[in-house]
Amino acid sequence: MTFPTGTPAFTLEQVVVRRGGSVLLDGVSCRIPGAACTTVLGPSGAGKSTLLRLLNRLEEPTRGTVSYRGGPLPGWDVLALRRQVTLVAQQPVLLTGTVRDELRAGRRHLSGARLAELLERVRLPAGYLGHATADLSGGEAQRVCLARALAVEPRVLLLDEPTAALDATVTAAVERLVRELADDGVTLVLVSHDTGQARRLSDLVLVLEDGRLVEQGPAGRIGRLREGA
Amino acid sequence: MSPAVPSWPGVAASAALVVLTVVVARRGRLGLTRDITVAALRAALQLTAVGAVLLLVFRHTGLAGALGWLALMVLVAGRMAARRTGALPGTFRTATAAIAVGTTASMGVLLVLGIIATQPRVVIPVGGMVVAGAMGATDLALIRLYDEVRTARPAIEARLSLGLAAGDAFAPHRCVIVRTALLPVLDSARTLGVIALPGAMTGLILAGVDPLTAIRYQIVVTYMLLAAACLAAVVAVRLSERALFDDAHRLRPLPGRRPSS
Repeated sequence: MTFPTGTPAFTLEQVVVRRGGSVLLDGVSCRIPGAACTTVLGPSGAGKSTLLRLLNRLEEPTRGTVSYRGGPLPGWDVLALRRQVTLVAQQPVLLTGTVRDELRAGRRHLSGARLAELLERVRLPAGYLGHATADLSGGEAQRVCLARALAVEPRVLLLDEPTAALDATVTAAVERLVRELADDGVTLVLVSHDTGQARRLSDLVLVLEDGRLVEQGPAGRIGRLREGA
Repeated sequence: MSPAVPSWPGVAASAALVVLTVVVARRGRLGLTRDITVAALRAALQLTAVGAVLLLVFRHTGLAGALGWLALMVLVAGRMAARRTGALPGTFRTATAAIAVGTTASMGVLLVLGIIATQPRVVIPVGGMVVAGAMGATDLALIRLYDEVRTARPAIEARLSLGLAAGDAFAPHRCVIVRTALLPVLDSARTLGVIALPGAMTGLILAGVDPLTAIRYQIVVTYMLLAAACLAAVVAVRLSERALFDDAHRLRPLPGRRPSS
């Protein structure tokens, strides 16, 4: 399931998120295109993860609206929405004992062939299906989490710092996968603090600072990317 | 030969044990003299008052009075559990409902099947044990639930992010919590009579009942405590789940204070 290229997947209008006296997002308005890769850049505490969690309703805005495919998020059946808009957290969280069960966490009935295909997609051999999740390295665990998210066939994949804990080789493999997914019509929104990654992957970059959207546009037009900041 | 039940002079003489405790506390500079004295006096006064009220209930109110007494115990137990686990939202209602369900089901079976007599002198002490068992399981369930939700938030949100409903996302944690809450009652059932003689059986033997008759009561007590604890723990967790998640299947933030164990 994909979006026609250029159609906004999400529209945020004057979104404010306050939690316990802190303002996490402060009047953010933007459009996130479908079938493209959008990177949310910014320093720690800028509100990047909060923005990501708004998109599949793990967070609710205090003020303002978030729309998905033209309709306000609260109008969507939240479970159906989350099957379309799936989030992979920064720290890989494994939920079951084996890789096979892990891939079936969101969708129980998956054939062996489909499971092998999912592993292949994240550059892991099919032999890993029987592996205990406790034995996976950090990079393998992150890729299994990605495959688990892909198993529910989302239209939108939200990735929170997907390569933060990975070495250069695995990072390159995950970046290739991200690009492939975007080219296949999946909408990707990823949080990163890596300007190089934003430059390599993004069709659109949103820059957050202290909860405010301070810059947005194609990677080539973002000042701090040109400066290599 | 001394009597099976202590006389009032015997009770007064047992206060020597309180004096002994106070002496040990003072010599050890434990700073507990006042606490020990107040606790000992309070226990005596409370039990005297309860004994007097129970005498009235036994003589004049019948089964209705006994059930009313049990209802009062359930409310008090709910309040105690809520005090200990008050960091979770709506704990008084949750704990009271859980204890009430465990107690009603266990006592209902015992009374409807005619396993115990409907006299207040039977219903109240047996019901008291059931309420205490249900309260213990509720306490443990709510404390463990709080810890589980705090530590397992990323796993719960990972399941929610895959489109699982709140109940499904919480299911593996529910099992862990209920199992933990049932451990004491299961352990106690496993070691029954081996490590220590249980309370109901001890009481009957002290009152002159022969051991083979006393164990019949104890077996029934063990089964009813298992049922009461299990039901109370399950209800406590199920009701708490409703407070933990909002309508959008989102895990609410928890307050920072851990319930006291």
